[in-house]
Amino acid sequence: MTSSKRKQFVCLEAGCDRVIEADSDEGLIEAVQKHVAEAHNSFELDEFILAGATEVDRQP
Amino acid sequence: MAQATASKPVEADDLKKFHFTREMMRGDVYRKYEKAINAIWNPRELDYSRDVEDWARIPTERADALLGLTVRFFAGEQAVAENLVPMLEAAWALERFDWLMYLSTFVMEECKHAEFFAQWHERVPRILEPDELAPYFIQREKTVDPTGRFELKEVVHEGLPRYAREVTAAVQTGDREQIERAFLRFLTLYNGHVEGVLTMPSYEIVVDTCTAWDALPALKQGYRRIMSDEGRHITFGTSAVRAILADHPDWEPVVHDVFDEFRGTIVGLVEYQKAVPELDLDKYQVGKVRHYRNRCREMGVTPDETLIEQILDPSIDFVVGVTAG
Repeated sequence: MTSSKRKQFVCLEAGCDRVIEADSDEGLIEAVQKHVAEAHNSFELDEFILAGATEVDRQP
Repeated sequence: MAQATASKPVEADDLKKFHFTREMMRGDVYRKYEKAINAIWNPRELDYSRDVEDWARIPTERADALLGLTVRFFAGEQAVAENLVPMLEAAWALERFDWLMYLSTFVMEECKHAEFFAQWHERVPRILEPDELAPYFIQREKTVDPTGRFELKEVVHEGLPRYAREVTAAVQTGDREQIERAFLRFLTLYNGHVEGVLTMPSYEIVVDTCTAWDALPALKQGYRRIMSDEGRHITFGTSAVRAILADHPDWEPVVHDVFDEFRGTIVGLVEYQKAVPELDLDKYQVGKVRHYRNRCREMGVTPDETLIEQILDPSIDFVVGVTAG
């Protein structure tokens, strides 16, 4: 069954504020790490992603 | 399986002997304890042989510059390990057994990080005794800001012990509010400021340097393992700050006051940032802002925009650890 909620993380790099969403913690970690590596040539620790993530309603 | 039952009447004092609850074991802090137990690594199992070969071919001035950072990390890991006891005291005084359990892994990991640096320095540059290491230690309080706007304080070796003594003194009073306030200050300084903002770019600098030089794989691997542990430490601290602030929302200025006391240390560039030509200096300052904003989000406080502006201000370019001017 698909959850009605998604995981969301806002990248707080100065001047970025990119909103990243995924269906699971694992998916969010992968997507955020990909963004931070590609956009900022850096990395975000898994724990930071989980600690900064929120749950949002799935868009219809 | 049937649930065990007992007919003996329950004594109130007996209830106090047990701290585990199903709710506690479902909690975020208990999850961190479980992750830490599952993620135990051993510095003695890393392969240092390639680092030894690489070290022999790295020019002396570059090797000395790198030692300025690794020796400071080595001292820093020992300093934080020595100042963890007050955290355990505070967790005990505030009756947070889940915090106590997690902090037991925290203490072990900080000691292990110190052991990693002992292993690496002994096996690779072959320095371990205090008189062999001390010449490479950068005295942070000797840094000069040529603009005169910022005071550079020694946050790890003076600030942390002072804040730790405040926690111990508060625990001895037995006054819950005093303990919470002192613990809030300590967590903010240790997990928010030192581990959470100041140190993160330094870890990245070492990893990036190893990558740029295509050298020192054990050093790089050790730093990656340490960072993974630190991720749990930092988010434990910031979540504890959030929990304390939930009970005392008017204490948010206390968090900002702690960052303010050591503002110069964050605003300046990290030592070594200018020592490796291959590194992109701006990346680490911009990244510092990301870490600061992340920590504020985790703690549930509004970021200090003037601090962010100062970190990003290109005219403020004194290097922490280097006498400028």
